[in-house]
Amino acid sequence: MTAEPKVAKSPAMIEARGVEKWYPNGFHALRGVDLTVQRGEVVVIMGPSGSGKSTFIRTFNALEEFQKGSITVDGIALNDDLRKIDAIRREVGMVFQQFNLFPHLSVLDNLTLAPVLVRKRSKGEVLNQAMALLERVGIAEQAHKFPGQLSGGQQQRVAIARSLCMEPRILLFDEPTSSLDPEMVREVLEVMQGLAADGMTMVVVTHEVGFARQVADRVVLMADGQVVEEATPERFFDHPQHERSRQFLSQIL
Amino acid sequence: MGPKPRLTPASLRKELFATPLDGLVTVLLVTGLAAAGSRLLHWALAQADWAVIQANSTLFAVGRYPIEQQWRLWLLVALLAAAAGLSWGVLRSRPLPDRPITALWPGNDRLATGILVLLASWAPAALGLTLSIQSRWWALTGLLVLVRWLAGRYGSRLGKTATLALPLVWPLLYLVGMVLIGGGLGLVTVGANEWGGLLLTLVEASFAILLSAPLGVLLALGRRSSLPLLRWGSIVYIEFIRGAPLITLLFLGQNILGFLLPGGMAPDRIWRAAWILTFFSAAYLAEAVRSGLAAVPRGQLEAARSLGLSLPQALAQVVLPQALRIALPATVGQFISLLQDTTLLSLIGLLDLLGTARSVMANPLFLGKSSEVYLTLAVLFWCCCAALGLGSRALERRLNPPSLGR
Repeated sequence: MTAEPKVAKSPAMIEARGVEKWYPNGFHALRGVDLTVQRGEVVVIMGPSGSGKSTFIRTFNALEEFQKGSITVDGIALNDDLRKIDAIRREVGMVFQQFNLFPHLSVLDNLTLAPVLVRKRSKGEVLNQAMALLERVGIAEQAHKFPGQLSGGQQQRVAIARSLCMEPRILLFDEPTSSLDPEMVREVLEVMQGLAADGMTMVVVTHEVGFARQVADRVVLMADGQVVEEATPERFFDHPQHERSRQFLSQIL
Repeated sequence: MGPKPRLTPASLRKELFATPLDGLVTVLLVTGLAAAGSRLLHWALAQADWAVIQANSTLFAVGRYPIEQQWRLWLLVALLAAAAGLSWGVLRSRPLPDRPITALWPGNDRLATGILVLLASWAPAALGLTLSIQSRWWALTGLLVLVRWLAGRYGSRLGKTATLALPLVWPLLYLVGMVLIGGGLGLVTVGANEWGGLLLTLVEASFAILLSAPLGVLLALGRRSSLPLLRWGSIVYIEFIRGAPLITLLFLGQNILGFLLPGGMAPDRIWRAAWILTFFSAAYLAEAVRSGLAAVPRGQLEAARSLGLSLPQALAQVVLPQALRIALPATVGQFISLLQDTTLLSLIGLLDLLGTARSVMANPLFLGKSSEVYLTLAVLFWCCCAALGLGSRALERRLNPPSLGR
């Protein structure tokens, strides 16, 4: 079922085993989810809304708790130890559907805040890196503006640069283009494509079929808190094995 | 914000006399206001006897503060004027994030300065102060305007650190002020029971404002904490305080603090009242801050935490700056009502502004002069509250991050 990973180095970047989550109201959001992400791999997670895909990737950096199973990120087991959670969060970047830029800080300050506070790096050094990253995502000229002055696509590119400024080993994307106007989706996907080409390990929750086909090493379909199918993009989109996958694809294609 | 519509005769006609009914309402309102205004003016200028204010102006200002020590208060007022001019000028010399500096003296500032100068040349004379005291007020006004000019002219040369440190002038000045007022560090002690009038009102209000602000933020954070003990402690405190009228708390404080604390530990009557005001105001502030915290999207905290910031770092750098800006109008509203609540101190026998006024009106010499006294009090309070409101609106505009819409 699993495709051959591009880089077969151990240990895996993310190793999730039998992850189960109940919300306080009793809703069983994750029902024993397994996923292995190798270094340098790009995994796209798809699925209908409410299938638990966002909840699942949010457990990787402990934004969501889980009750059963185990998750190991870059060799560190995720448990209740707060110091380990902080260590993992330093290595795991996350890009949100709503961008979540800090509106009271300039673009540049959005980028430099965490490296200076968390990694204790010197401000001057981080500034240089931040400018280089803004250059890379194509908005260096907006460095001194505030998030509210940028378009959605620009904001999301700043958010990606902000994550990169922490030099993470893995980037999680939680529906990064879902709240963008159609004409801005491409500029964000191009940046993500560039990252993938540079060998960044990425887990992407998205409905962008074109991106999944071109960039993903593997596509995972989740439904009702479970993994239904896991395959290379070609097999998944052209020869889906499961009835649930065919049903989902018929709705989005 | 779009351009302000200009007032022209044509636009006025359209605003006020659009329909016959509008015209009728306009005429009625204008006649009513004019009649009331002219009668008030007639009373104030022809009938009222302002001798009661002239004779007691020092009492209203500082109570029974010893005359030979009053130079300390003059010095404090001078420092305050300089600090106000400095903050005003430096603020004006900095561009807003989305707006360049237009002029050294924008229209509003010219108006404010004009009013200040008019007030300084008229009020001391109207109060019948001696020429030497009148000239002190002129000098103080001159100092304020001069510092405002210097800071506005050269403020942009200040470094970033200096600008960030500038607000610290105020708490520092508060400490200096407390020493100047109360004595110590080589100055003769002037006991709190000798303070009175506007001085006491401002000391109590500023003490409560300065201390209740951090306390209110902590209570608001406590109320949203995931630690049950902290959360329930904050909720019980806030709800208990908000459920009790301030006057009962003040009486409780005067009587119970004395029993609760071992002899000599209980603070002086005046400080007891200041602490009660602080605790009272903190509960209301906590609710204002809580509404600000609730208005900051959840994603902000998540983004900060996912970047590796600890919870205190995320609160201090990301959540609180946004929450406090949102809570600013409600916070200043609370400060304004706190200032007015200090009048309750007169009911527990303290000689604040209202207490002093009541003692003056009890004097047989000034029987039947209560209208003059109350009107003066109202104007004084209105000035203090208007200053707070103006300051808060200016601050709010500066703290608003620029966005596409503006």
